[in-house]
Amino acid sequence: MDFEWIKIPYALLTLFIVVNFGMLLGAFIQKIGARVGRRHGIPIWQNYADLIKNFGLRTSITHGVMFYLGPVFRLTGGIGLLLFVPTIYGSEMFSNLSFSGDLILALYFVFFGTLGMALGAGESGHPHAAIGISRGLSQVSMAELPFALAVFAVALQYQTLSVTDIVAAQQGGIANWTLFTNPVAVAAAMLGFLGSMMRPPFDVVIAPQEIPIGPPTEYHSSYLALMQTNRAIFPIAKIVIYMNLFFGGAASWPVFFLKVFLIYMVSVIVGVVFPRFRVEQSIRWFLVWAVPLGVLSIVLV
Amino acid sequence: MVSPLYLIVLALAAAFLLGLLNPERRGRAYAVTLVALAGMTLISADWLWAFTMEGIDPVDVYTAGAEPPFAINLRMGLAEAALTLLVNLTGLLSALYLKDVLLAGGRRTMAVLLISVMALVGIILTRDLFNLFVFFELVVISSAGLVLLANDKDGGPASGLSLSAGFKYLIVSQFISAFLLLGIIFAYHATGTLNIDGMANASLGLATGGTIAFFLMFMAIVAELKPFPANGWALDIYESAHPAFSAIFSAATGAAALYAVDKLLLIGGAEWLPIATGIGIVTFIAANLFALPQTHDRRLLGYSSIAQTGLVLVVLGQRDLLGDSTPFIAFGLLISHAVAKAGLFWLSGLLKNRQLADWAALRQRPLLVFAFVTFTAMLTGLPPFPGFYAKWELVHQLAGAGQFTLLGLILLGALIEAGYLFRWFGYLMKREAPVETVPCTGHKVGPVLVAVAAGWALAYLWGDLAGGLFGRDNLLLALPLLFALSFLLLDWLPAWIKNSLAIAGMVAFFLLTWGEYDPLRLIFAIIFLIGGALTLLASYSVHGRRIGFYPAAMLMYAGMVMLIRATTSFDFFAAWELLTVGSYFLILRGKHSEPHALSYILFSLGGAFLILAGFALAAAGAPQFDLASLAQVAAPAAPWVFVLLAVGFMTKTAAIGLHIWLPGAHAEAETDVSPMVSGILLKAGLYGMMVLLLAMGKQQLYGVELTHVLLWIAALTALIGNLMAVFQEDAKRLLAYSSIGQMGYALFGLALMNHLGWLMALVFVINHYIYKSMLFLAVGGVAKRTGTREMYKMGGLIRLMPLSFIAVLIGIIAVSGVPPLSGFGGRWVFYNAIMSAEYRLPMVVLFMAGPIAFLYLFRLIYTIFLGQLKDELRRVKEAPFWIVLPQMIYVALLLVFAVVPGLALRHVDAYLNQFFPEGGLHWGGGTIISDYGYWNPVAIMIIVGVIFTTVFALLLIVNRKAQMVKQFNIVFSAERPFRPETTHYAWNFYAPYRKAMGFLTQPFVTRFWDTLADLLHTAGDLGRRLYDGNGQSYGFHFLAFVVIVFFVGGI
Amino acid sequence: MMPSIAQLAMATGFILILIGFYGALTQRNLLRMIVAFTLSGTGVNIVIVAIGYMHGRTAPILDATVNAADAVSRVIDPVPQALVLTAIVIGLGVTALMLAYALKLHEQRRSLDIAKFTELKW
Repeated sequence: MDFEWIKIPYALLTLFIVVNFGMLLGAFIQKIGARVGRRHGIPIWQNYADLIKNFGLRTSITHGVMFYLGPVFRLTGGIGLLLFVPTIYGSEMFSNLSFSGDLILALYFVFFGTLGMALGAGESGHPHAAIGISRGLSQVSMAELPFALAVFAVALQYQTLSVTDIVAAQQGGIANWTLFTNPVAVAAAMLGFLGSMMRPPFDVVIAPQEIPIGPPTEYHSSYLALMQTNRAIFPIAKIVIYMNLFFGGAASWPVFFLKVFLIYMVSVIVGVVFPRFRVEQSIRWFLVWAVPLGVLSIVLV
Repeated sequence: MVSPLYLIVLALAAAFLLGLLNPERRGRAYAVTLVALAGMTLISADWLWAFTMEGIDPVDVYTAGAEPPFAINLRMGLAEAALTLLVNLTGLLSALYLKDVLLAGGRRTMAVLLISVMALVGIILTRDLFNLFVFFELVVISSAGLVLLANDKDGGPASGLSLSAGFKYLIVSQFISAFLLLGIIFAYHATGTLNIDGMANASLGLATGGTIAFFLMFMAIVAELKPFPANGWALDIYESAHPAFSAIFSAATGAAALYAVDKLLLIGGAEWLPIATGIGIVTFIAANLFALPQTHDRRLLGYSSIAQTGLVLVVLGQRDLLGDSTPFIAFGLLISHAVAKAGLFWLSGLLKNRQLADWAALRQRPLLVFAFVTFTAMLTGLPPFPGFYAKWELVHQLAGAGQFTLLGLILLGALIEAGYLFRWFGYLMKREAPVETVPCTGHKVGPVLVAVAAGWALAYLWGDLAGGLFGRDNLLLALPLLFALSFLLLDWLPAWIKNSLAIAGMVAFFLLTWGEYDPLRLIFAIIFLIGGALTLLASYSVHGRRIGFYPAAMLMYAGMVMLIRATTSFDFFAAWELLTVGSYFLILRGKHSEPHALSYILFSLGGAFLILAGFALAAAGAPQFDLASLAQVAAPAAPWVFVLLAVGFMTKTAAIGLHIWLPGAHAEAETDVSPMVSGILLKAGLYGMMVLLLAMGKQQLYGVELTHVLLWIAALTALIGNLMAVFQEDAKRLLAYSSIGQMGYALFGLALMNHLGWLMALVFVINHYIYKSMLFLAVGGVAKRTGTREMYKMGGLIRLMPLSFIAVLIGIIAVSGVPPLSGFGGRWVFYNAIMSAEYRLPMVVLFMAGPIAFLYLFRLIYTIFLGQLKDELRRVKEAPFWIVLPQMIYVALLLVFAVVPGLALRHVDAYLNQFFPEGGLHWGGGTIISDYGYWNPVAIMIIVGVIFTTVFALLLIVNRKAQMVKQFNIVFSAERPFRPETTHYAWNFYAPYRKAMGFLTQPFVTRFWDTLADLLHTAGDLGRRLYDGNGQSYGFHFLAFVVIVFFVGGI
Repeated sequence: MMPSIAQLAMATGFILILIGFYGALTQRNLLRMIVAFTLSGTGVNIVIVAIGYMHGRTAPILDATVNAADAVSRVIDPVPQALVLTAIVIGLGVTALMLAYALKLHEQRRSLDIAKFTELKW
């Protein structure tokens, strides 16, 4: 697993596919949400229109260096996360840049974009940005825990931290998926997953009513475009990790699209059914329901 | 050689001569007094020289032309020579000190003083019981006279207080002398001799009534040691008498009485030793306990005197066990006590007011502060003073003989004593000074300085003696310590010169010695010496002379260097104490750090005592052992040794339960001190743990695996440290709590007891040094400029202090473990380490702690540098150059360590193979491979860099015309804000989180220690009410004491 | 059997000591306390002399009736008597000192009550 120059165009190809998939998927899910609420919803190509519009806007302000860099951090985080994890199992082409680190790298790199984004928004001086971040960090600190525990349980189960090896161990039939070999860990991880997808009931962080969309409040035009791109990439990059760890990975693009969509739908279904938690409520919820599952999964391995 | 008889003759003759002089020629009388005392001092010194240097035998002097038992004989031996020198010198110095009083009091006063000294010498020299009685009575009478020298504020000599104290003394001494006389006469009746040696040979205990006779005598003489509870009279004297007399009363009378008890024990034999021990230890504990709530300086010194005398009595009582080292220990303790107590009493005479806090006036004279420090260190048995050596021997021998209860009680009492002494020193350094000038007259300061010089000389002497007895190097000859102490002499130089010297010295020492360390120690050596020098760069920002800073800082560094160079338990422990003391002085320098420095030193000393006890237990009677042979400690003792040492070391790493000193101590310290005590000092504790774990490995106590317990402690420490950091408003406290959490991680790595766990601990050691030093400096610089440490009062400083911002930014990315910076390396090793760990549940707690770091880190950078700039801070400048410079160096270091962690870790990894052969890393090219995963720091850095640059370039192209807007160009809730105070969301930043998780931050630990301290205080306060001030009660106390000893002692 | 004179003296001495101690602990007047101590001091002295007394012997003075050769078997032990002398002298000194103290205390406070001098405590 060493570096070769050909990996760069391959990685860019992955990126291209995922960005487009992410845009379409995002709009599609918006539409599902709207339909559940008996609304018509946005057209499927809406995200492309928004992106072009945002890149095209000519008004542009900045609050300072960190503000300027915030979206850059954000998008770098998204792209990096995607590229540090192999997308398609068994494909040299789409194993991306995973030679540079294992599962732990991905887990920690998740925070790169979040941190940079939070800093950028912080410099705007907008109090709602800070409030949103404080809520988001509070919630994430607990929501990540069941996931982290589950990941550790899985790593213990397969005795490796390499994503490729974990996927490899799940090949040969659906019964070999972690979902079935270690259901407790998957349950814990999926509860954590709900918390990190910014959907109800855990979306007070970006709370559209009380606070105009939290951290991104002050971001507009090309900043927003960058963040929007990230919004397309990041959830998918995360889901790829889930898919690889718990659902047997994907050996081809169609399987990939299907699995990502289904995993995404878990949070969507929960989201349209349940009302929203306040932050302290969601922290307690994770502590009471998800964390014990995670602990259990570690004990049981 | 002058006959020892002349000691007595000289005093008597001078006293008679005084009577012949013209009463008006007071100067002449004073000269006669001084000459007589000086002559006596010289005679004693001459004898001492003869005994020590020429090695002559003890000399008996017979009086009245007959041999005992028909006449009285005096004996001059080594002990007598030393003690009479102590008595005479104290007398001489006190006479000097009393110049004004003696000149005003005239020749009679001088005669009484001479008689007093003569009687004390007599007690020491005589070998005759009845003669002993006579000298004791002379001491009583002369003391009752000298008590009246007190010059109270409310009215001339002999005013009310000392008058009543003297009378109470006489009451009690009447009881005592009745007992003594009865005892002597019955003992005489039983044995037919009054000679002490004769009586010892006649085995008094076997004769009819002999036991009772001895009991009466013993009670009477022991009562002169002011044992609990028969000591109220002595306290009253200490409180009210002239300090110069108190000096004699404490140092000289105490020493003489102790020697009398020693002689008496010769007669009594072994069965009386436990009783002496019992009386001594009860007195030691009780007096120290009662001293706790004391606010009157001289009464406090009185309690302390009583306690120290009690301790020496314990040593005398254990002499069967201590054997040949008894004199070394007893004299070490006694002489420390005597010199220090005399010095402190003399010091107290320089001050007008009697409350402990009034000693703050002493700050005007740094030399006197140094004197105070010396005396305090002597009393608490800190290195390099004799008490330290004595304490070491005592504890080792007691542990070797299995006397654990006594050992525990001694250490407990010593800790309480250190508590009130260091609290007092805190008052001295920090409390508001009363408006008074401390007089600097030669005859008063002189004796104090002589005592200081004597203290250091004795320190050298005891180091030398220990070298002869136990084959050790003299601590005072250790190069690092000498280097640190030399700054005492250089303190008059400007700070920048001293700073340069300090840096040069540390770097030079490293260059000289770096080849001597193994890779593990080398990392610590680099952090302690090079890292220390680097932090010292920040000290260039302080101007002036900065009195006291460099001796303290260098003492700490010297201690740390000696720690890693130590190969024996003794050297290790001495170094540990040195670094503790040095860092205490450093921490105390902070503006509001008085209570925190106190709790630091108490926890540290408590920890040090545990370490001492652990070493003693491991040594099993030997005076010291090679650290490596900790591994050979046998089974029943081994787990206990492990527990004692581990808890001791964990006081330094601030493990949960022992952590409450850290936040205040680190937060209140000066700007350049915080990185030293956080980034560097904490590593000393980790080093201790490493030494311990390497040698002893896994231990089981009652079937519990102790490293498993350590894992839990470490994980909880990490969790609570991080959690507490989230809720701090004070930036430095936040960093301090974060340190607790980080130390938890490092400790966890060690407790894993596998290859990668240790590697992780080392990554944390290096990382924590770099980023915590950097963050403390950055935050310190900000605090310096803004004048506050409350983060919500800051905000928006990014543009005014960009370099500090960069340092903090890099710092928090590194702390949080986000790639590509170096913190990730620690996390990666951590995950790999726990893959093969045996215990999984503690990890859950550690997992919980991990993400919490993001909360406080974001808060740190956001509330200080981002958000809204406050109006009053608009003119704030970047931190001073010398504070920023080291930060930038740290930034560079972090980046280097992030890209090539192998630079430091490869060697350690290879070194660890000999202890943990399994699970090492494979360092292939840029990729680091473990059994479970892989990691390529260079690739990560490049990939992240490339993506970042590309996206950034893209944004620059699209968004090149972005326009900078003003601060309030934001809109929310349809309002445009105009006040930064109401717009900067910063206070109680994580309110929802507090609602959810606040229950974990209840201050249970603080409450526990507070309650414990309260209990001790209350116990002391209730107990001391025994001394109700009524002379009859004191008489009754004496009788009660006799009765209690009679029944408890089973006579 | 009749108690010997030595035993009687010894008993008297101890009774005096106890009376003295009792007085010193119960009497609040300084002067009475001093008197009590004198009593106990006398008691101690009597005990000492009683110990040195041996029935049927003569004073320890070497003269025509007692020659040096058989002195050891004919005279009583001289040492206790010597001790008593010294003890008496010292007792005198201490008593005088205490009286002087009492005088000064009275001058200062116009009171001889020991319970009034308790400013120094705890």
